Amino acid sequence: MTAVGRARMSLVIVGALVLQLAFLGWFRVQGVHPDVMVLLAVVAGMVGGPDRGAIVGFVVGLVTDLFLQTPFGLSALTFCLVGYAVGLVQGGVLRTSWWLSVATAAAASAAAEILYALLGGIVGQSQMISDRLWLIAGVVGAANAVLAVPAERAVRWAMELSTSRARVGAVGRWR
Amino acid sequence: MAVPRRTSRTRYVLLVLVLTAATIMTLAYRGHANAVIDKAKSGARDAFAPVGRVVADAFRPVGNFFRGAVDYGSVKAENARLRKQLGDLRRQHLEQADQRRQLADLLRLQGLPFAEAIPKVTAEVVYLSTSNFQLTVEIDRGSAAGLRAGMPAVAGAGLIGRVVQVARDRSTVLLLTDPSSSVGVRAPNGVVAVATGQGANRVLRVDYLAPGTPLQKGDVFVTSGTEGSIYPPGIPVGDVATAVQRPDSLQEDVTLSPLVDFSQLQYVDVLKWSAGP
Repeated sequence: MTAVGRARMSLVIVGALVLQLAFLGWFRVQGVHPDVMVLLAVVAGMVGGPDRGAIVGFVVGLVTDLFLQTPFGLSALTFCLVGYAVGLVQGGVLRTSWWLSVATAAAASAAAEILYALLGGIVGQSQMISDRLWLIAGVVGAANAVLAVPAERAVRWAMELSTSRARVGAVGRWR
Repeated sequence: MAVPRRTSRTRYVLLVLVLTAATIMTLAYRGHANAVIDKAKSGARDAFAPVGRVVADAFRPVGNFFRGAVDYGSVKAENARLRKQLGDLRRQHLEQADQRRQLADLLRLQGLPFAEAIPKVTAEVVYLSTSNFQLTVEIDRGSAAGLRAGMPAVAGAGLIGRVVQVARDRSTVLLLTDPSSSVGVRAPNGVVAVATGQGANRVLRVDYLAPGTPLQKGDVFVTSGTEGSIYPPGIPVGDVATAVQRPDSLQEDVTLSPLVDFSQLQYVDVLKWSAGP
């Protein structure tokens, strides 16, 4: 990523943080709100491939950890794994369409919440694994599906990739 | 041949990032990096405070509208319930005015601790937690206003939680309903127990309550304030939602409804009180 790309990505991450803290936190369904930070990691993996997904996920997670009381580094670990996994899966797709991005964002965001809780449980935060986990995964998945398209455009802009929908799949971009 | 190289490099990147994250978590867990992490957290909160405040103020009406739309049915029912409750409370207020005056006189004479006598700092909730696994709120007062980690926070009718992180102009309050939050409570008859959060929009679970404790729905539990407690005594925590005595159980199964609606928090009072040594 170029210096301009890094600057743009920093701007996107800060913008997402502001959006999450000051705005999306108030949009709650059964006490659960959208998680645009994990969505950034997911989308970075989708449009940038596994290594960019992992790196962006790690940075986004570390920034998120600054505002949480959960073990420092837990979000960084979760998000980098998620960004990497999404990049790997998306890399095998030759053609993408808007609905595939939306479905991937929903499924990956839900999976990320579950992974976050499981890793939290491993490091002693057993209260994170509860029957609410399915509700959290479901609401975050649905909400992030709605936000997937604008998030993808923002990350594409940051990574200096074409924002056109008529594009080849991740494999084509990387070779 | 390019694909294997990329795959190898990608795995290497992932390995480095995972090891870095694991190292950070280990250092934080063992307390070796707490000073650095706390400083980074405080710096981030203070740096974010001005822009966060502006955006939060601008968008809060939108959030309120959304919440109103989603919760319309329950808001309407709650409104009716609150109207009735308000009428009941007005009546009780009149009945108890004299009793309160007598209690205040006694407390003053005996020099007993009383929450209303504790200095407090009023703060506004600026935003909620970024995580769905942690129930916290961020308030717009910090160490500059004399706040410190561990201080209790109250709002409306009762306790909401305690301060867990303090920056210069921001503090984080861990809510009672967070599953990692526990508070020592006292039943109306004086029996002591522990109330633990079970997540957003859920009741508090009461543990270690001796079987046979006479309870009725609506009985109010207050902070126990026993020696070493992190909360002062006498702050209302919640009222009894359910109380079941099972024959084979060593404790009574009791749940409490918090006295504060955590989804409507806007202003809180932080009590400048800390537990004794």
